Amino acid sequence: MEIIAFVAVSALILLSSLSMVLAKDMVRAALSLALAFIGVAALFILLEAEFLAAIQVLIYAGAVVVLMLFAVMLTKRRRVRQ
Amino acid sequence: MVVPAEVGAIANLLANPWIRGAAGAVGFASVISGSLLILIWLERKFIARLQHRYGPNRVGKYGILQLVVDGIKLFTKEDIVPRDADKLIFTLAPIVGFAVALLPFLVIPIGENLIVSDLNIGILYLLAVSSLAVVPTLMAGWSPNNKYNLLGGMRAAAMMISYEVPMGLAIIGVVMLTGSLSMVDIVRAQEGMWFIIPQFIGFVVFVVAAFVEAARLPFDLPEAESELVQGWTTEYSGMKFAMLLFAEYIHSILASLLIAILFLGGWYGPVLPGPVWLLLKTFLVLLVLMWMRATVPRVRIDQLLNIGWKILIPLALLNIAITGIYKLV
Repeated sequence: MEIIAFVAVSALILLSSLSMVLAKDMVRAALSLALAFIGVAALFILLEAEFLAAIQVLIYAGAVVVLMLFAVMLTKRRRVRQ
Repeated sequence: MVVPAEVGAIANLLANPWIRGAAGAVGFASVISGSLLILIWLERKFIARLQHRYGPNRVGKYGILQLVVDGIKLFTKEDIVPRDADKLIFTLAPIVGFAVALLPFLVIPIGENLIVSDLNIGILYLLAVSSLAVVPTLMAGWSPNNKYNLLGGMRAAAMMISYEVPMGLAIIGVVMLTGSLSMVDIVRAQEGMWFIIPQFIGFVVFVVAAFVEAARLPFDLPEAESELVQGWTTEYSGMKFAMLLFAEYIHSILASLLIAILFLGGWYGPVLPGPVWLLLKTFLVLLVLMWMRATVPRVRIDQLLNIGWKILIPLALLNIAITGIYKLV
């Protein structure tokens, strides 16, 4: 049971990290990063470190929101087809 | 009537965390969706009375079926995705929003033993999960490639980031008095006296912050109709809009529940059983929320952020200092 959960969570973290690195769009990258952080929180829960998991979500999710704000404000907007 | 043996069997079944979780999810999801329909009808009627109108009164007795009709309309509408939208994120935003809105109910104690999971980091989990609620808002604001959506989303993000701070600081006072992060312990600590009395400053700060997080009328800057068309939900229609709307309502319900649990004594009260008391208190807070919507005009975004950073945070810190001194003496 624990092995299955570990494999699933690790796969989630790896895939979302990969999609973060490969994303063309900054906002998509920030969202993938959020998913990766949530996966890490799930790993902490598997290790029975619930407090750390909650702190992980609280701090890093907040950071991702700020990242998204900066991505929206400071990067070029997508081209709008005319 | 259920015989005691069956009650014991059900209790045994509920001790299994998987079954307990599934039962809690089904229970909360169905109760919330059911009560949403009634609450939206009630809000429309209540505000109509405050504004000297009748409100919905055509479909069914007192217009109580109005929401069913509206629901059918939303379900059967064409699902429009704007051409230049980021289609994946545009579709995911309502789903994520709805899911994230339901997550905090994992640690909400409805009664003495009526809680899905009594985490010993309960209130921290709640803060963590509710800090995630900005993400779907920003997704919905950014993905349709529409300036009104984007403006609404940015406002929502600014509001939520600034008001998470006083909310967390106000909760610290409660946690200091309780000495535990578990929601059940927090309610138990209020058996003698509700926290609204020793934590009055914290209560005021928390109520304002929670109402801002619920993004209802005096603070509904993310969707200010008179400025931003429909704010961060402008491009959404049909089922997706319904899900975003429901998520918003769930945030309001959660804010009222939290006020009732943290400051108004949760399930404690004379005569009536615990869950009834909690729902009654929640309902009263919701009624105040609706009443405010009909009474107070919308604040400006700069005023809102000023209130948050320059008044609420110092007040919350003062509350923590007073609580600390009280605990020491």
